[in-house]
Amino acid sequence: MIPWLLADANLEHGTLVWTTEPVWVGAAAACALLAWGLAVFGRQTGKQSAGARAAEGVLWALALAVLVVAVAGPEVVEENGREEVGKLVVLMDGSGSMGVSDGRGPRSTGAVEAARALADTLGPVDVYTFDETVRSGLPERFDGRGTDLGVALDVIADRHLGQKLRGVVVLTDGLDRGALRRDILQSVDQGQVTTDLAPSLPGPVTFVQVGAAEALFDLSVDHVTSGGFAFLRTPFTLRTTIRGPAGRTVPVALSRDGRAVSQETVTLDDTGKAEVAFKVVPREVGRFAYEVSVPVETGDAVPGNNAYPVVVRVVRERTRVLQVSGSPSYDQKFLRLFLKEDPSVDLVSFFILRTREDFRSGWKAHELSLIEFPYERLFTEDLGTFDLVVLQNFNYRPYFSFGREDLLQNIADYVRAGGALVMTGGDRSFDLGDYARTPIADVLPVKLGVSGVKTDEAPFRPELTEAGSAHPLTRLGATADETRATWDRLPSMDGVNLNRGLVPGAAALLVHPGLRVDGEPLPVLSVREVGEGRTMALNVDASWRWSFSEAAEGHGNQAYLRFWKNALRWLVADPDDRRVVVAPSRENVLLGDEVRLTVRVRDAGYGPVEGAQVVGVVEGPDGSRSPVTLTTDSTGEAAMAFTPTLRGAHRVEVGIGSRSADRGSTVFAVSNRDPELADIQPDQAFLEQLAELYGDRGRFIGPGDRLDVLIDDDAKRKVPDRKVVALGGAPIIALLFGLFGGAAWLIRRRDGGV
Amino acid sequence: MPRELWSRRAILAAMAALPAAGLGRAAFGLGAASQVDIAELAIDGASIHRPAAWQRLLFELIQSTSVEANPATVKLAPEDPALFAHPFTVLVGDGALPALSEDAVEQLRRFVSYGGFLFFDDASGARDGPFARSVRQLCRQLFPTRPMAPLPGDHSLYRAFFLLDRPVGRVAVSEVLEGVTIGPVTPIVYCPNDLSGALHRGEDGRNRFPVIPGGDTQRREAIKLGVNLVMYSLTSNYKHDQAHVVELMRDGKLE
Repeated sequence: MIPWLLADANLEHGTLVWTTEPVWVGAAAACALLAWGLAVFGRQTGKQSAGARAAEGVLWALALAVLVVAVAGPEVVEENGREEVGKLVVLMDGSGSMGVSDGRGPRSTGAVEAARALADTLGPVDVYTFDETVRSGLPERFDGRGTDLGVALDVIADRHLGQKLRGVVVLTDGLDRGALRRDILQSVDQGQVTTDLAPSLPGPVTFVQVGAAEALFDLSVDHVTSGGFAFLRTPFTLRTTIRGPAGRTVPVALSRDGRAVSQETVTLDDTGKAEVAFKVVPREVGRFAYEVSVPVETGDAVPGNNAYPVVVRVVRERTRVLQVSGSPSYDQKFLRLFLKEDPSVDLVSFFILRTREDFRSGWKAHELSLIEFPYERLFTEDLGTFDLVVLQNFNYRPYFSFGREDLLQNIADYVRAGGALVMTGGDRSFDLGDYARTPIADVLPVKLGVSGVKTDEAPFRPELTEAGSAHPLTRLGATADETRATWDRLPSMDGVNLNRGLVPGAAALLVHPGLRVDGEPLPVLSVREVGEGRTMALNVDASWRWSFSEAAEGHGNQAYLRFWKNALRWLVADPDDRRVVVAPSRENVLLGDEVRLTVRVRDAGYGPVEGAQVVGVVEGPDGSRSPVTLTTDSTGEAAMAFTPTLRGAHRVEVGIGSRSADRGSTVFAVSNRDPELADIQPDQAFLEQLAELYGDRGRFIGPGDRLDVLIDDDAKRKVPDRKVVALGGAPIIALLFGLFGGAAWLIRRRDGGV
Repeated sequence: MPRELWSRRAILAAMAALPAAGLGRAAFGLGAASQVDIAELAIDGASIHRPAAWQRLLFELIQSTSVEANPATVKLAPEDPALFAHPFTVLVGDGALPALSEDAVEQLRRFVSYGGFLFFDDASGARDGPFARSVRQLCRQLFPTRPMAPLPGDHSLYRAFFLLDRPVGRVAVSEVLEGVTIGPVTPIVYCPNDLSGALHRGEDGRNRFPVIPGGDTQRREAIKLGVNLVMYSLTSNYKHDQAHVVELMRDGKLE
């Protein structure tokens, strides 16, 4: 009877809890109090005795209290546990390597069939999928981009803490990309294998290898080592490992930005491996996509790992400068001292110490320490090895006029192809060097062909132009004002090589204070961007005074050093130091991954340009062109996301104009070689070693072996059992309310209350 | 150079021919800055001045090399800021030098540190005489951690233009030049053999001093040394650049 009244609640073992929020209980109590007051005092008492009235009030109070208790939501919670048979857990490898077909069909099919067989023979199984994460259930697709078996085993142990499992069955090809495999194999190599390398598990574990090495045909470029960057004109080696069937002879090709560079043929050794080294001499500065590839043959399990792209950034180790001077002079001396002392410069100097005019002095050849000027070699085969050529008061005629007029054309071509040229003044330079109407004149910033007097020998102090105050080449101070003040205090020049003004597109940074040409001040220092290269004309031969006279006044020679350092940096600007620079967020990208392209635009003074309209294209390996349209923000930067859909080198070309200086480019490599598929040979040795670490609670089952997994039939687990009984609706509540309320009502009726 | 060229008649003829020869080329230059000249340091009671010797050297420089030179000399005190307009400076003496002022030492230090060339010529004709000791003391003041030392036989100065076996002057008391080397260059050179004495001429154009023990042959070698000094001051270790060393070895001029 009592259990029925309490709705089977066990007050002895259970715990009474109140489930209604206190505020509602308070509200109910207040209502009950109001109702009680109305019931007891809000009526005519008539002839009811005081004792009866008191008894009625108490009974109403009890009835209403029962209601408040019911509103408070009393519940009795009983917690119990029961023992059941331990679970059997199946951990299924869901990584991409499980999708590989090795002659017996995809490994994934074998794994799913094994899981079903276990369920059929051993009863219910809890299946978990693992790759770079762990989740319940079978894999929807076998395309995970990683395999971390160690973490998966730890997760299983955590989820079944305090339980014992009948068994854990791992269905995998053994290609663990996490720390477990690496640590175990390293320990094996070092002969220091200990059981604590194996994650602890609450039950016996069976490792079932899915897939067989001998059934697999896969030719792959396993890895390419490049170091990521290389130095200009310095050989570097791309080392690669080729894997495939033992004994097979394989052609291995190297390409750069889609164009063939080299090919080697190798024969794979007994272990199916071969090393190939490609020696490459980079001839340009920038980022380049190199790709090592082997042919894709019919039946290749993973065509995606037959090529390995890698982007190499080529930088200058040292700036290689050719200084050719028509005669030893102070100007040549100070420039050589500066260039020689700069550790970032590799200087090759040639000074003409003696001309035909000097032959009459009668000294014998054996007395002289002179060598022939190797101008033919310098301006043909060697020219491309220099980043900068300085023609310092050098007259080409005594050399280039003897059937080698093409050498001047070589220099001009070298500039247009990305080289840098400086011509400084003197009595053998500009028009005095007969450069007018030569290919050199076509690339200089100033027009030659001055008629009559070709120099002005009146001392003058060059004036900084507006362009000069912003240009990085003439920036001698931290601010524009400081720069101008520094230039103002530098000493006068002794004369100037006249010219016919700037060529279109050139900029004058220093001008003559008095001389004018076509109404404009005569350029004294001017710069120009020609094709991919840059040129500078310094129409004086006394820049050395900027060094020595500064020293005389105790200012050191910083102005001179900074000027020429700036000049070097600007003339041989790296791609990353251009005014328009585009860079990818990553240089090696997986197919389908998003790559972020950031464009930075700077003005002539290298300050950020806001609101620049950047247009360009991303050119895919098949020639497809995806447009780029961006507007820079206040930092001079703009960015866009690009998701490649093609494998291979992608070149990005952007710009804010058509001139070379207004354009930037970069490259990134797209691969469909999932890292998960880089090595797909099942690793039986690892799985065997791992099973061995568990002793008699570990077992390895190889491909083709009977699926006889380790089971602990004594494994039990406690199943929690929780019973909640709500007393608010229990019969005792209605019974007590009816009892107290009914008694109160009867007293009132009996004593004539209304 | 053939000996007969250095007869008085030949010299005068050559001087007369200057505008048409080397100096004529200099007329196209861009002013004094493009031309090499020589400044003589003047120290009261201690320095010897031989402008004719230096003019003769500059003339030879014009005749034999491509260097644009102004065959003129100036006398400057070591404190004179005008020193910085003349990167090639000489001090000739035959006795002890007085202590220089702090300003003079500081200016000479800056002059040498920032690219100037300072040549000490010992006119005494004696080894380790008072002038030599003064020069060593001055060099210690200028660069305390870089004492003056003999220049090695393969120094660029010995092959800056001519191949020199011995650095001789009016006398040949020493087999070597000495100098202060800073990094790859030697901006201070001391000659114990009185180079300027071999070059010096009187107003009549005749050699001022006999050269011993080698006579005119030795004088000829002294001229070569002078040319090399100027050429070295302009080109520093240029002759040690790899391209030159390889070529000179190929020609059998170096071993």
